[in-house]
Amino acid sequence: MLYRVIDAEELPLLVEAFMRDHEVVAPVKSGRSVAFETIGSFDDIVLDYTTTLTSLKKYYLPPRETLIEFDAEGGSVTDYELEVKPRVLFGAHACDINALINLDLAFNDGRYLDPYYDAHRAATMVIGISCTPSDTCFCHLLDADEVRGAYDLFLQDLGDRYLVSIGSVEGANVLESACNPREATDEDRRAFRQITRARQESFSKDIPDVQEIPMLMDAFHKDEFWEELGGRCLSCTACSAVCPTCYCFDIADTLDPDGKTGRRERIWDACTSPQFALVAGDHNFREGGRERVRHRMYHKLNGFNSVHGRYLCVGCGRCVRACKADISPIEVLRFFERKGASDAK
Amino acid sequence: MSERSSGSIPRVVFAGFASCFGCQINITNIEKHLLDVLGQIDMRYWQLTSSDPMPAQFDVAVIEGAITTKDAEISAKRLREIADTVITIGACAQSAGIPGMASDDIDTRMKDVYSDHVPALISDSAYSPRAVGDVIEVDFAVPCCPVDPYEFVRVLQHVLYGSNIYPHTATLCGNCKQNGRGCFYGRGVMCMGLVTRTGCGARCTALGRECNGCAGLSPDANIDMARRIAVASGIDEADFNKALEMFNYNNEAIMELR
Repeated sequence: MLYRVIDAEELPLLVEAFMRDHEVVAPVKSGRSVAFETIGSFDDIVLDYTTTLTSLKKYYLPPRETLIEFDAEGGSVTDYELEVKPRVLFGAHACDINALINLDLAFNDGRYLDPYYDAHRAATMVIGISCTPSDTCFCHLLDADEVRGAYDLFLQDLGDRYLVSIGSVEGANVLESACNPREATDEDRRAFRQITRARQESFSKDIPDVQEIPMLMDAFHKDEFWEELGGRCLSCTACSAVCPTCYCFDIADTLDPDGKTGRRERIWDACTSPQFALVAGDHNFREGGRERVRHRMYHKLNGFNSVHGRYLCVGCGRCVRACKADISPIEVLRFFERKGASDAK
Repeated sequence: MSERSSGSIPRVVFAGFASCFGCQINITNIEKHLLDVLGQIDMRYWQLTSSDPMPAQFDVAVIEGAITTKDAEISAKRLREIADTVITIGACAQSAGIPGMASDDIDTRMKDVYSDHVPALISDSAYSPRAVGDVIEVDFAVPCCPVDPYEFVRVLQHVLYGSNIYPHTATLCGNCKQNGRGCFYGRGVMCMGLVTRTGCGARCTALGRECNGCAGLSPDANIDMARRIAVASGIDEADFNKALEMFNYNNEAIMELR
């Protein structure tokens, strides 16, 4: 990996360089929390945020996106131009970039390339930034606290300067033209190491570090824990709305008010929605909260692993905050911890 | 039953029972699309726009309002007998809505209004308000108070042309989070989104106003859990139960609260 160092004062120059020919999305203050929004100036950005209410996935997978347009009377598909904005996502944390890698695995699969996702992805640059964990962060337990690849630049805050990890030629070019990047010295590397250690120490100790999570998911598949956890579910789908890696969708044809033309849309769906597993004949193969919540946790902590070798959950903690019923992967980890303790007796 | 031959333009009637007629008014709020929508149907009766009498034949009956009298019940049954399809619009038709709140002690309420001289027209016919679905079979219900006119158009087009959109029963919070909104709970404000059926786009909360539940309870609502969440965040349990009643008067899930 190629590293460069810039002074903290140079950061506005970097952002402004991106703003010249891109829409720049960055963390800004929104009510009592922080949200990713299009910025008008560098000063809008909250650089030291802990987490945001919702994730960056809407920029690759909009909540509602037109796939085709059609003429309902003639029964023909009409050409439709996908609207793709050249965009820079500035200030993404490691968990969110890891989430993006997971979405790439799902949508940019060579066998079934998703042209819509791919078009947004190709037009988007990602500038990561280092973070300090909040009390709901557990990315370190799911191998998502560090990120390798999928970004153009990653900024490690070293106080008065940033250690910049270069991820793409395009990113390097903007950095070179906007700032005066210099070679990283041994002192920079030692500062980086020190800050990284301090970050690793600052994760909440209340969230248990459980080994072999995918295996435990299988071992306790029928445990009554799932009834208790799923029984609390409000069926609201807030978990998946805020999740950076929930990518399931529904497809619906919507007519225009005149009934003559319409469009086929992809709309976010969620496996915690009661109708998600409804199939022909009115059969619902995940009828209750127990089955739905368990399924969601399985995909996050077991199923995706078996296909892609990574956890789908990146431990960002957004669902921990969004779920009013306290259902989250943290509760699953705590359950495994309790089971481990009682089995050892 | 109607005698519509296939391919002809469906004949539609709009009927209003006990309600503010706000849902019908709101349908006219699609303004620039109104003629496009009317162009797809043969509008045979609409009290709001014409004094012409109800025709003897039609294909689709659109009903707003709660059933509050025996006469209204007879009228609703007649609509059902003639129409192939019955669509209700709004919370009053779906759950008895606002009129439903007078259900429990209807005799006292009549005396409040008419003293000891309740007119025979009223005393002979009025009864505790009911949802349209409690009187006749309903094929499609457009929820909310008032209805979203575009949701009405979508349902009407579903009736006219079919649709691959199926009704979701999730509750509202997911939609609210999609809009990037934080939660009212924790701020001491009660929000019925925890138990209210999704589909409205969570517009009230997007505008900074808590959900009052006008879409009605989701059949998958976890009322006990929602109540625990509300109480834990400082909401009075009685207030929460009262709020549940407003748009769910006929819902069996809350009968025990009454």
